[in-house]
Amino acid sequence: MKAKKLVALFLALTLTLGITACGNSSTTPSGGSQTNGSGGGKGTTITYAIWDKNQEPGMRAIADAFEAQNPGIKVKVEVTGWDEYWTKLEAGATGGVLPDAFWMHINNFRKYADAAMLEPITEGVDMSKFPEGLVDLYTVDGTSYAVPKDFDTIGLWYNKTMFDEKGIPYPDESWDWDKAIEVAKQLTDPSAGVFGLMAGHSAENQQGFYNLIFQNGGHVISEDKKSSGYDLPETIEAVQVWHDLIHEHKVSPPYETLVESSASNLFTSGRVAMVMLGSWMVTELKNNEYSAANADVAVLPQMKQRATVYNGLGNAVSAKSPNKEAALKFVQFTGTEEANLLQAEHVSAIPAYEGTQQPWIDSITTFNVGKYVDMLEYAYIYPTSKTRPRWDVAENDYMRQILSGQLGVEEGCKALASEMNAILADE
Amino acid sequence: MKSSKNKRTNRNTLLVYLILVLGSLLMLFPFLWTITTSLKSITESMRIPPTLLPEAMRFANYTEAMIRVDFGTLYYNTAVMVGARTLAAIMFSTMAAYAFARIDFPLKNFFFAMVLIQMMVPGQIFLIPQFLLMARLDWLDTVKALVAPGIVSAFGTFLMRQFFLSLPKDLEEAARIDGCNQWQTYWHVMMPLARSGMVALGIFTALFAWKDLMWPLIVNTSADKMTLSTGLANLKGTFTTNYPVLMAGSLIAMWPMILLFILFQRQFIEGIASTGSKN
Amino acid sequence: MKLQKMKKRRWGDLGWAYLMIAPTILGLLVLNIYPVISTIYLSFTKTGDFGASSFTGIGNYTKMFKDPEVLQATWNTFRYTIGVVPVGVLLALFFAVLLNANIKGKTLFRTIYFLPVVSTPVAVAMVWRWLYNTEFGLLNYLLSLFGAGPVGWLTTSRYAMFSLIVVGIWSTLGYNMVLLLAGLQEIPKTFYEAADIDGASPIRKFFFITLPLVSPTLFFVLVLTFISSLQMFDFIYMMVDRGNVAMGSVQTLVFLFYKYAFQIYDRGYASAIVVFLLAIILAITALQMHLQKKWVHYD
Repeated sequence: MKAKKLVALFLALTLTLGITACGNSSTTPSGGSQTNGSGGGKGTTITYAIWDKNQEPGMRAIADAFEAQNPGIKVKVEVTGWDEYWTKLEAGATGGVLPDAFWMHINNFRKYADAAMLEPITEGVDMSKFPEGLVDLYTVDGTSYAVPKDFDTIGLWYNKTMFDEKGIPYPDESWDWDKAIEVAKQLTDPSAGVFGLMAGHSAENQQGFYNLIFQNGGHVISEDKKSSGYDLPETIEAVQVWHDLIHEHKVSPPYETLVESSASNLFTSGRVAMVMLGSWMVTELKNNEYSAANADVAVLPQMKQRATVYNGLGNAVSAKSPNKEAALKFVQFTGTEEANLLQAEHVSAIPAYEGTQQPWIDSITTFNVGKYVDMLEYAYIYPTSKTRPRWDVAENDYMRQILSGQLGVEEGCKALASEMNAILADE
Repeated sequence: MKSSKNKRTNRNTLLVYLILVLGSLLMLFPFLWTITTSLKSITESMRIPPTLLPEAMRFANYTEAMIRVDFGTLYYNTAVMVGARTLAAIMFSTMAAYAFARIDFPLKNFFFAMVLIQMMVPGQIFLIPQFLLMARLDWLDTVKALVAPGIVSAFGTFLMRQFFLSLPKDLEEAARIDGCNQWQTYWHVMMPLARSGMVALGIFTALFAWKDLMWPLIVNTSADKMTLSTGLANLKGTFTTNYPVLMAGSLIAMWPMILLFILFQRQFIEGIASTGSKN
Repeated sequence: MKLQKMKKRRWGDLGWAYLMIAPTILGLLVLNIYPVISTIYLSFTKTGDFGASSFTGIGNYTKMFKDPEVLQATWNTFRYTIGVVPVGVLLALFFAVLLNANIKGKTLFRTIYFLPVVSTPVAVAMVWRWLYNTEFGLLNYLLSLFGAGPVGWLTTSRYAMFSLIVVGIWSTLGYNMVLLLAGLQEIPKTFYEAADIDGASPIRKFFFITLPLVSPTLFFVLVLTFISSLQMFDFIYMMVDRGNVAMGSVQTLVFLFYKYAFQIYDRGYASAIVVFLLAIILAITALQMHLQKKWVHYD
C-alpha cells in the first residue's frame, strides 16, 4: 500500500517536471508559419529543419550568431531522422508548409527545385568561395537554389592496433586495391571472427561501390543524365571487385552481417580492421573510446586512378515561406566565412567555404582527418538526376541481389542498367 | 479413490504452473535483456559471447539518454495526447454508439458502414491528407495536432455499439414511458450503465494513442512537441551503435506506462472484461 | 392526438440520433472518409510531384497485377497473417484457459503476459533486433551453446518472416489473452458444475462448454487480429533495413504502399496498392461474417 503511494507520488513528480519543462519552452513562439509575414521585422521566428542530431550543436551555434546580429529574428533548429525528414518534407511541400529554411540533399534537390519549392539564392552569397562542383549541384539553368553547406569525402579507416600486432605498415597513398586485399587477407582471422576489409551493403553506395566505379573509370549515370553507366565494362568490373571482397577473398564479413551491423559498429568493436567511412562519421568515431584510441584514417586505395565520391548538403529556403526575407537572410549568413568557421569549430562536417577546412582539421586532433580534405582534389561528385529517388530504389534492389550473391555481377548490372534507362527515358 | 483423484489434480496444477512459468519467461526475457544491456558499456554489449550480467553497472547510460532526450517534456506531451484522445473518443463514441444501437434512423447502415470502413483501412493512407488538414488549420508542430486525428474513434464506436446491444432494454423502455427523450434516456440511464464499457474503451484508446508513431513523427518536429515514441525514434537515429544508451532510453520511456498498468491492472483487465457480451 | 404525439416524438428521436452521431461522423468524414475517397481517386491517376496528377484509368491496376513485387508482397501479407492469426489466437486462448482456472498468482501472470502490449513499438523493435542480431545477439549465443547456428534471423529470406511472426505474436498475445479471459469469465460456473456431476473430462468440458460459449469473443478477437495482421507495417519498418536481402520476402502490401508513396513518390501506384489491400480486407471480413453463423454461438 505504502509502495503504491510512493509510486503515485513519483509519477506526479515526473508529471510536474514535464509541465515545467513545457512551460519553459513555450516562451519561444512555435512554428514558422504563424508569425508575421512581413519578414525580417520584429519578432519573426524561422524554422530551420535538419536531419542529423550530431550536427545540432553546430547548427545551433550558427543560429545563435545569426540571432545576435539580427535582433528580432529567432531561429528554431528542428531535427528529424533521415527517413521521416523526407516524408515530412514531402507532405509539407504538397501542402505548401515547408520549414522556412532547411537542409537539401542532392537526391531530392531537382524534385523540389523543379516544382518551384525552393527560393532562388541570387545575392548575398559569394558562390566563388565554394568548390565549383558543390555550387553546380544546386544550380539549375544558372540559378542557385541552395547555399553549399559542407562537403564530405570517403576515407579508409584502419585499426592501428591490429596492424601493429602483425607488423604491417599502415595504409597510405601508395596503396592500390590489390595491396589492400593482400593486407586484408593477412588481417583476416575467421576463427576469431575478425575480418580484414569490410565491404558494404546495397544501400551504402556513397561509402561503397561508387568510389570503386569512379576509380575504375566507370560511371553511374552519363553526363547528360540520359543513360545508366551500369552496363559499362569499367563499372561492372568495379562492382565485381567490391563483390569479391565478400565472396571471393572473404576478407569482408558476409553480406548478412553488413546489413545487420553498421560499419562503425563492427569497426569500433574490433571485428574489422579496415572500413570505408564518410567524413560525417568523424564525430561518432571521435566520441567512441575504442576508435579514439585505436583508429586512424587514410586515403582510399586506388584502381586505374585515384577517386572518391564527394557530396555536399545545401541550405535552402522555402519559396512559399511567409518569412522568406528572414529565412533568406539566415541562409545567406550560413554562406559566410563566420558561419563556416563555427561549423568547423563544432566538428559538424567539413565546411564548404574556401579556407575553412584547415580549422576543421585543426579542431580534430584524434585522427588524421586532413586526408578527407586532400581527397577533394580528385573527387567525383555524387551521381544524381531528377529521377534519382526512383532509380535509387532500383539500384538498391539489384545491388542487394548482386552483393548477396543471388545474382551474377554482370547479369545484375546489365538488368539494372536497362531498368534505370527506362526510368531516365521518363525524365 | 478420492486420494488418487486429488493426486491427479495436484499433478495437473503443477503442470499448469510449469507451463505458465515457462510462458512468463518467454514473455519476459526481452525485457530482462533490455535491462542488462542498458547497464553495460558499449564494448561489453558487443562482446562475443555476450555476458549475461553486466560486469560493472553503468548507470551513466541512463544519464546519457536523459541528456540527449528531454523526457520530462515527452512524458507531458504523451500524457496530453493520450488523455485528450481518450476523453474525446469516450465521449463521442459512446454517444454515437448509443444512437447506432438503439435508435432507428434513415441511412443508419450507410453511416455505420463508414465506421466499419475506417477500421479496415490501413492508417498510413491518412497521413498526408491529415497532415494537409493540420497545415490548413495552422496546427503543425503543436500539441493540438497530436490529439486531432484520434478525437473520434471508429473502433470505439463499434465496441460501444456491441456493448449497448448487449444491455437489456427494459430500463430504457421505462425511461421512455416516463417521457424522457432519447438524449435524456442516454444521459441519465444508459450512459451510467455503460461505465465499465467506457473504461475499457478508454484503455484501448490510450493504448492505441500510446503506440502511435508515424503521425507524431511527421506532424511535429520540435523537440518540445514530441511524444515518447518519436523521441525514442530520434534517439535511435542518433546512436546507431550505442545499444546500451538506446536500451536505457527505452526503459525510461516505458516505465510510466508499465507502472500505471501494474498499479491499475485489476481495473484495466476488468474494464476490458466488461466489453464482452455481458447480460 | 396520441398518434400526433408519437409522430412528434419520432421526429425528435431522429434529431437526437443525428446529433449524437454528428461528431463522430463529421470527424470520420474529414479525417478518414475523405482521404479514402481521394486515395481511390488517386489510384486512377499518374501523380507528378507534390499533388499534381493526371487521369490514367485503370493503368495502375493493370500494371499492379503484372508486377511480381506486388504479387510477392500479397503473398507475404498472407504468410504473415497465416502465421500470426492461428498460432497467436490459439496460444492466447490456451493461456486464457489456464489463467481462468483457480490458481494462485493469477494477477502476476496476467501482468507479465500483458507487458509487451504496454511497451512502445520502437522499444520492442529495438530489443528484438538486438536479440536477433547474428553476431552479438543472445539468441544465437544460446544456440551456440547447443552447437547450432548462427542463424541470420532477420537477414535471410528463410527465417526473416518467421522472426517477424514471433515478434508479432509476442507483442499481441497478452492483448488477445485478456479479451478471451474476459469472455471466459462470463461463462456461468453452473455449466461446469453440471458437467462435473456427469463426470466429464477437462478436454470434453473445453470442447462442449468453453469453446462454444467463448465463441463470440473468439470471433471478435479473430476479426481484429486478421485486420491488424493484414495491415502489418511497423515491425518491418523498424526491423528490416533497405539493404537487407530478406526485404523482398517480408515486405507486405502496406510496406510497399509506404515505399511507393514516400520513397519513390508515385502516389498513384501506391494508392492502387492500398485499394487492392482494402478489397482483400473487406473480402476476408465479409467471409468471416458469413462463416460465423456456422460456429459462433450467440444466445
